[in-house]
Amino acid sequence: MNDEPAAARRLGRRDFLMATAGASLLGAGEVRAQQPGPWAIAPKSKVDTVNFVVWTYGDIYTKISAKFQADWGVPVQSTISSFNDHPAKLMTMYAGSETIDVSQSSPFSFPNFISQGLVEPLDDLPGAKDYLADFTGSCKQVAVYDGKLMGLPYFSTVWVWNYYTDLMEKAKFEPFTTYDELLEQLRKAKKDKIADYPIFWVAGVGLEQLPGTWYQMTWNRGGVFFDKDGNHQLGPGSIARETLKWWIQTFKEELADPESLKAQFTASAKAFGAGKNVYRGPNHHYGLNVANDPAQSPNAGKIKVLGSPGDGKTIGDTHVYFLCTANRDKEWAWKLLQYLGGKTKDGQYTQAIALARDAMLGSGYNSVMNSAAVTEGWKPWGDPVEILKIWDKATYVAEVVPSIYKPWHFPWSDRINIEVSKALTGQTTADACCDTLIAAIKEVQKG
Amino acid sequence: LTARALAAAKPYRFSRELSPHALGVAMNIPTLVTLALVIAYPIYYAAYLSFHKVSLAELRRGIFPFVGLANYTRIFNDSLFLLALKNTLIFTAFSVTLELVLAIAIALLIDQTSVWTGRITKFLILVPYAVPPIAGGLIWSFIYSFEYGFLNRILFTTGLSATAVNWTGHPATALFAVAVPYIWRTLPFAILLVHAALQGINQELYEAASVDGAGAMQRFWHITLPLLRPIIVVILVLRTSFAFAVFDEVLAITQGGPGDATWVAAWYSYKRGFSPPFDIGVGAASAYVLALIVGMFAIAYVGLIYRRIR
Repeated sequence: MNDEPAAARRLGRRDFLMATAGASLLGAGEVRAQQPGPWAIAPKSKVDTVNFVVWTYGDIYTKISAKFQADWGVPVQSTISSFNDHPAKLMTMYAGSETIDVSQSSPFSFPNFISQGLVEPLDDLPGAKDYLADFTGSCKQVAVYDGKLMGLPYFSTVWVWNYYTDLMEKAKFEPFTTYDELLEQLRKAKKDKIADYPIFWVAGVGLEQLPGTWYQMTWNRGGVFFDKDGNHQLGPGSIARETLKWWIQTFKEELADPESLKAQFTASAKAFGAGKNVYRGPNHHYGLNVANDPAQSPNAGKIKVLGSPGDGKTIGDTHVYFLCTANRDKEWAWKLLQYLGGKTKDGQYTQAIALARDAMLGSGYNSVMNSAAVTEGWKPWGDPVEILKIWDKATYVAEVVPSIYKPWHFPWSDRINIEVSKALTGQTTADACCDTLIAAIKEVQKG
Repeated sequence: LTARALAAAKPYRFSRELSPHALGVAMNIPTLVTLALVIAYPIYYAAYLSFHKVSLAELRRGIFPFVGLANYTRIFNDSLFLLALKNTLIFTAFSVTLELVLAIAIALLIDQTSVWTGRITKFLILVPYAVPPIAGGLIWSFIYSFEYGFLNRILFTTGLSATAVNWTGHPATALFAVAVPYIWRTLPFAILLVHAALQGINQELYEAASVDGAGAMQRFWHITLPLLRPIIVVILVLRTSFAFAVFDEVLAITQGGPGDATWVAAWYSYKRGFSPPFDIGVGAASAYVLALIVGMFAIAYVGLIYRRIR
């Protein structure tokens, strides 16, 4: 992501690809460990079991648990809930004095978990510095808190736009390059009955769904939500406020699919795959692995990725695994944490590579992002070159909304969901919405 | 001889017989202990939490700093809590009224022994009660779906609506869209109560009224309804209590949205207590306010209706 000059990053990736091309002569297109590292050394202590508390994602945890047990002879117990239920599940287990070796967090709740004392720093653990050296900029911004390494990456993503080629051809549209052009195209598509609702937004209630869409478009237009000194940027005439006014217009004119307001990322990808909308608003890049999956979408292969207007600035983030302070044995918990967010016994980023190849997820490790797991692994669903171009223009979302680093961001995010939903459904105006959110900042800071 | 012997024989008595009062107390002790453990202690503990700062770290440590009325001050200064209370009142008034009317109407219908389908209906009526609330909520989500839902399809094909209605996504309809599945789920219980009460009404009263020339409506107003009053009180108390605590349908269908249109009191308590920053003290305070309101309603119902009966 946008933590270093783009040219340098591109060069870095190219260099790395050349290096891995050499490695492929050995029969591997990915990064391989050259020598045994700390990840291959067994902990001195003994445990009967280890456990993790995570939110669900396919069968990745079954596989990695089996690998852990095969490698170390220690069974892994898992507590898996839905993404939305995860914080409550983790909280009740922690508060109930249950043992939790490893858990995970979105970047939005991570500062809160840290402030509640759930997260164990990793700096002094064997191999931690190697991981840190391989982190992407975005990953560092999430996983390093107050100068301490607090987690290992689960996955990284950037926000991209999508369009449906059949309807674009039918409407004779070229992908939009400005917001005005987008609005005109949406109006024309509706008028010409190309689509009842030409655009589908990811505007369901969540930490990064509805708020993320607003964050992304505001950032792309050159705005932020707080400046470096922590002052809000939501006042009259602010870019965030104007962006919201523009966004509301798409609902007011019934250009936006009403189902947008319930859509989470995967649900919106499935809905967009049905082929009823021309565009899909900013969303996690990996939604393509649903929308372009023949098993899940009747229009697989016809959903294309599109960068943002203007200079193409977008946002991205990284979700993390962390070692819980309620662990049974720090050494073993660290071992398990590495299986989920780092290297397995063979020195491979097994989980990160599998997530890239099977689920199109990005990684918090430069070496994985530059490997064939991404450059080849993403090809069944989208154009990796195009997506990586967008990736280079992405900034960690907390640069746009620095309150993410604060424990009060979570309750404030609740207010964003409520007030922006009200604005989008015509219950209030953009001005009233922003004024309420400004007032809510002080309220949640007190909490 | 046997009868005489039995009459002469002293009944068997324990060497130290308990007085009726003491026996009554002894027999009630297990129930009291159970109730104290499963009801009174949580109520006391919730009250205790509501006066303390309780979040994740405090729970783990087991040390809760006393904050006095701070949690209560916070919720009463929170416009969202006041809105959640307002939404809860609207939801309760709508759902309890409709449920009571429907329960009486349906119970009267299935009470008609001359209608053979009544037996099947009695069974079918119980089906929603057996559906888990979350599952029921999800079923209704599909029914309400803007594009693919059965409800819009039926309205469109019957010509009742030319355009699809966003039942759960529009602030004007969302709360009622949550109330309908709730009523659907809980109505069977109310029907059963009314139906059972109807069985206890002496048929001779109706026969006498008919002889005196009373019509169906007169018999209903002057015999059935007055005799149903005790059960109506029970239904009002129970259904109001449960309606005030509605949660499952909100979770499954709207999650409080759109905006804050379906934020109800229990949802507020849940969000405050079980999502970061886990203000369990605030959640407990809001739940306590809710409990007090329900308690006041229950006392008012009982007082009002029993006064009328007397």
